[in-house]
Amino acid sequence: MARKMHGSSTETRTTLNRPGFRINRSAWLNLLMIVPAVLLVLGLFIYPLAYGLRLSLDPQTGGGILANYEHFFTDERERATIWNTVRLALPATLINLLVAIPLAYRMRRVVRGRRLITGLFVIPMTLGTVLIAQGMLSFFGPAGWFNKTLEFLRITDDPIRLIYNRTGVIISLTIAEFPVVFLILLGFASGIDPNLERAAQMLGASGWQRFRRIILPLMVPGIATAFALSFVMTFAVFPTAVMLGQPAGSTRVIAFAAWQAAYERFDYSAASAIAIIMASIEICVLAVVFGLRSRLYHGPASAGKG
Amino acid sequence: MTTHIETDQRPTGSSGTRTSERPAPRIDTLRIRNLTKTFGGVTALQEFALDVRGGEFISLLGPSGCGKTTALNCLAGLLEPDSGDIEVDGDHIVRTPPERRRFGMVFQNYALFPHLTVERNIAFGLEMQRIPKAERDERVDQILNLVHLGEHREKYPAQLSGGQQQRIAIARAVVTEPRIMLMDEPLSNLDAKLRLEMRTEIRRLHHALGLTTIYVTHDQEEALSLSDRVVLMELGNIRQVGTPRDVYQEPASAYAASFLGCRNLLPVRVASLDGTSVTAESASGMSLTGSLRGELTPGDNAIAAIRPENINLLQQGNNAPNTTIGEVQAVEFLGQGTELSISCELGDNIIVRTNEDTWQYGDRLVLQLPGDRFFIFPAESEEG
Repeated sequence: MARKMHGSSTETRTTLNRPGFRINRSAWLNLLMIVPAVLLVLGLFIYPLAYGLRLSLDPQTGGGILANYEHFFTDERERATIWNTVRLALPATLINLLVAIPLAYRMRRVVRGRRLITGLFVIPMTLGTVLIAQGMLSFFGPAGWFNKTLEFLRITDDPIRLIYNRTGVIISLTIAEFPVVFLILLGFASGIDPNLERAAQMLGASGWQRFRRIILPLMVPGIATAFALSFVMTFAVFPTAVMLGQPAGSTRVIAFAAWQAAYERFDYSAASAIAIIMASIEICVLAVVFGLRSRLYHGPASAGKG
Repeated sequence: MTTHIETDQRPTGSSGTRTSERPAPRIDTLRIRNLTKTFGGVTALQEFALDVRGGEFISLLGPSGCGKTTALNCLAGLLEPDSGDIEVDGDHIVRTPPERRRFGMVFQNYALFPHLTVERNIAFGLEMQRIPKAERDERVDQILNLVHLGEHREKYPAQLSGGQQQRIAIARAVVTEPRIMLMDEPLSNLDAKLRLEMRTEIRRLHHALGLTTIYVTHDQEEALSLSDRVVLMELGNIRQVGTPRDVYQEPASAYAASFLGCRNLLPVRVASLDGTSVTAESASGMSLTGSLRGELTPGDNAIAAIRPENINLLQQGNNAPNTTIGEVQAVEFLGQGTELSISCELGDNIIVRTNEDTWQYGDRLVLQLPGDRFFIFPAESEEG
């Protein structure tokens, strides 16, 4: 309420304070201020994208302007990279959400050691994917601690294979993306007015009902944001898929296909086409997620005087 | 004597002869025994004990930090007391979780569920009770009519004004037919006009629905106007319990007096006692006669208290007892009467309320403190 009223009064004031002859001048000044940002976006994002798009429409190997795209979608091996990538990005993202939602809910209030725990959760972010992959290679390797411990405890005789396959890549992506997902959700969970839960409790709601009926719906915007971010980042997976997976088989991801086109076949045009396809898929996923999000509740997480 | 509105609404028990259409309260008694709660060594609530009859409206009154909200949260079950007992009609509930106490609560910031419509907010408690949809709809309809917000049922809380939100919060709590209604400063976020409207509304609903209400406030006017009984608290302790009339006219201590409108407090020393009449000496050596409140012996330090509206202003040259000459330091026109700040032998800032609005800054006048309205309390020791 208050926020709305405040907003409208500010607008009124701005218009009142600016007689006609000044509007142009200040509008120009405002435009001038955003020039650096616009240049940056144009130079670092729009231009490369346009350049890549143009490059992809000018096939090195001949054919029509869409030859690269035709090739990608008709070649079984190339087309499969989309599904390969989805099968890595989706499980990693969903696992993270499933773990991070209850955790963020638990940590939403100031609990003892919250800083320490948050710090520990965030460490993977500082490591980078290559370091995580290296660590996992030794830890989960046939002579690594993981299998040694299992053997010692007589849980298994044969080493469990968690590297050089899809599972390994999913584990490393989960570790690498967890901090982002957790921090986003923690922010949303902490923003929920604690009185809402107390009110639900006074109205007879059990712990699960409070979570299911009050907390979860209010966290939906956060969940959507975390999903989108994590999915897009894992969809671009490259180093871990090569180091920990089977880059020739089940984890031949779309980014790897682009890399091969560019640096093994030196076909920049085909590589650009694959990059454009990758970007399009990501944009589609974002559109779907935020489209769904806008259909659900996405207002403030506390009513009362806003 | 004027009639006291609250007496009409007080429950009269089984032998009641009232013909009020008020529904019977849902509980007979709420007994609170020696609730104590400490936070990290600081005692927020000490041996809080109170018996509440079904249908009563009780206010917990006191400044922030007096323990009133702690007491309410212990009643709600949102806080677990360190010791003590809560009993509703013989049912010991101090270990019962809040969701099974069947109490209603209204929060200071309303705490409406922002993602649910008005209708769904109100239906929430009924859904938790697994009440069939048809009955649920009917009860939501009824309560929406009762709070006059039927046309807003499809709206979200953020689309409503503060007063409307508070009405919904109350409706959401009362629709579940709670055994006891708990209200935590529900009016403090509203503007002055709305506060008065909602005060009447709360009293109306309390009466119409046969509620038993525990109401927390720091506003003495709210407490006096709403309650059947006022519980005055300080530093985690109950200082006085009584009807609004009693606590206002017969404050039990200097603290109670100061919190209930005795804005003039003077340190004095007892000179002599004669029955209930005390003669005391002010810091400046002036001799004053007042009514004894509490236990005092000659030589004791005491506090004299009088309300601004009980001080008389006389013509200059009057030599009656308990009079002193003062000079007007400030004049505040209040619509109904005027408040003067007067500097005199007793102090620099004696507040007097008068109906004459002819006084001006610098005027000299005579103050008279009538002995029967001039209370002399023992000075507060550091017992708290």
